[in-house]
Amino acid sequence: MSGLIGQINPGLLLILVGFAGCLIPVQRVRQALMVATPVVAILMLAMADRGTDLATASVIGLDLVLYKVDSLSFIFGLAFLIASLLNAIYALHTDDRLQDGMALAYAGAAVAATFAGDLMTLFIFWEITAVSSVFLILRAGTKAAYQAAMRYLGVQIFSGVLLLDGLAYVYKSTGSLSLEAFTSFDQPGAKLIFAAFAIKAAFPFLHNWLQDAYPKATVVGAVVLSAFTTKLAVYAFARMFPGFEMLIWIGAVMTVFPVFFAVIENDLRKVLSYSLNNQLGFMICAIGIGTPLAINGAAAHAFAHIIYKGLLFMSMGAVLYRVGTAKASELGGLYKSMPWTTIFCIIGAVSISAFPLFSGFVAKAMTMSAVATEGYVIVWLMLLFASAGVLEHSGIKIPYFTFFGHDSGIRVKEAPFNMLLAMGMAAFICIAIGLPTIGGFGYGWLYNMLPCTVTAPADVCMISGKEIKPYAPYTVDHVLTQLQLLMFAVLAFILLKRFGLYPPEKPGTILDTDWVLRKPGYSMVKWAGTVWGKAGPALTAFFGRMGARTFEKIETTFSPRGALARGPLTLSMAMWSAVLLGVVMLVVLLAS
Amino acid sequence: MNLPPERDSSGRFVKPEQDMPQPSDHDMHPMSRLLFGWVSSPRTPMVLLVLTLVIALGLVLIDFAVNRHEYLDFANANGFYAIWGFVAFALAVLSGWPLGKLLRRDEDYYGEADTTLQDVEQDS
Repeated sequence: MSGLIGQINPGLLLILVGFAGCLIPVQRVRQALMVATPVVAILMLAMADRGTDLATASVIGLDLVLYKVDSLSFIFGLAFLIASLLNAIYALHTDDRLQDGMALAYAGAAVAATFAGDLMTLFIFWEITAVSSVFLILRAGTKAAYQAAMRYLGVQIFSGVLLLDGLAYVYKSTGSLSLEAFTSFDQPGAKLIFAAFAIKAAFPFLHNWLQDAYPKATVVGAVVLSAFTTKLAVYAFARMFPGFEMLIWIGAVMTVFPVFFAVIENDLRKVLSYSLNNQLGFMICAIGIGTPLAINGAAAHAFAHIIYKGLLFMSMGAVLYRVGTAKASELGGLYKSMPWTTIFCIIGAVSISAFPLFSGFVAKAMTMSAVATEGYVIVWLMLLFASAGVLEHSGIKIPYFTFFGHDSGIRVKEAPFNMLLAMGMAAFICIAIGLPTIGGFGYGWLYNMLPCTVTAPADVCMISGKEIKPYAPYTVDHVLTQLQLLMFAVLAFILLKRFGLYPPEKPGTILDTDWVLRKPGYSMVKWAGTVWGKAGPALTAFFGRMGARTFEKIETTFSPRGALARGPLTLSMAMWSAVLLGVVMLVVLLAS
Repeated sequence: MNLPPERDSSGRFVKPEQDMPQPSDHDMHPMSRLLFGWVSSPRTPMVLLVLTLVIALGLVLIDFAVNRHEYLDFANANGFYAIWGFVAFALAVLSGWPLGKLLRRDEDYYGEADTTLQDVEQDS
């Protein structure tokens, strides 16, 4: 029995229950399913054997591997499943069939894609993540959300099309659809697949779909969205492009530029979206380094990040749910009415800022060490700058302007119990995997799940030929330097605030690359529409007149009453026609 | 009534005075009083500043006592992380002034300002 259950991709279960859930009208029954399914899925994953093709299928001559677990996919899949459980609990206060179902199906698609054993299977679930997640934005029910959802869907589907295109090249040149890592961009399909992943991982200049769509999603939707799409892309990069030097630099740029946007952004859910971008940068950079330590760093960071970023989105969601806005300029002093939310938000904030004893610290330390060991000095300095930047926007700005700072006078009820429960569970994980290992409890649990362990290393750990060594985050050096960095940054905050040098939170729209699409791009389309509206009928009329005139000319020449029909020519015409036909027949006869 | 938005002493926009609910602490959550009662004390900002300063400088002092072994030589310098953290943070925050001027537009720039989400509590 356990053998059979261990052979079904847990993602498929989530997708099926998710789609079925959209049809169940009874709230309690539906939500019980939404909570129970991830738990069952985690048990299924625990039963699965590692490193073999657990489920295969043959479709139109393609051999698909529907379920394969190894140490790299395991940690991502597990993080996705835990996130989907927390999300289901967080959503219990709402009664929205479509949102409940699609949230689970979306999580399922991400899990199924993670455990896909070939490119075609990956592609199929890649697309399901796009289609199911768009409902989480649409359900917000505003015009802005509708328009953002359409832009989001366009971008996501485009990524899928690129992936399909790329995998076709791979299949044509190698005859297989295996997920084997690329070694250079010259391999057929490598660039296309890279671009497909790059869109979903929100690379610089391709990033803005994220900050456009996530803050416009529903309260629950933004929490759900924050976990899956981008980390699936990170997983895909770790699987297929480990050790590509270009990723180091792209990742470093990704960590730095969102810091500046996050400082001036007023919508705190958008600040979190920029922060999400910055965190992805650390993971992408680590994958570019590609040593076992770095791959471990990326995986650990992804795991920790899914939980603490979810927690931060949950706390801002709770505020948005009670107050009706998540704008820094309108909030403040909420600790007086939402103490539990405040505590959980602070735990998320210190985790993402990588304070020792919290999950961000044990995860980020590996990436930083890997970058330093490989001698990328400038990249290392950029990441260090970004670490201070994270503290600014996620560590201080989010909790300070919401819960402390200027008292807005807003008094609301504390968040609903289910929200607090989900936040509490996430906060517990943030601390549990960040503590030093004492009696089997602490970061050791996370580190034992990492892809590159001595006992069962994933394929990706071998590419650089580097040795796999155990890593210890809690050394005097690490703790001391990290605390120095953070405490002096905090000191800078207090001083800047005291001297009035901290820029005030102002309402407004911050321009980003989406401006190109939404202003000149939209204007171009509108202009083209207007031009076509006028030019279309004119062109039709012009060609109509041309046609009529040509027909008239032909008629006056060739019709029975036309110029050619008159006089003795008619007879010779008939003669010549007969001669020509005869010649053609002769040629055909000789040729055959 | 469409009064121009006012700013408070820290430069943040607030609603006109008469529309502002007067903040009062009598309806504070009991848990808030227990956990964060100290926040509203007038001495808190100064205490926090001094505390942070002491911890921060203490960390630099410890740095002189510890012989660190980093892969990158310059990072071994005493207080390197302290300076980098302070400067990076200040740079990020101060860049907010010119960047805000450059990139901030009206809230309704894309014609989609403020609409209430469907799943936000309705009586809020």
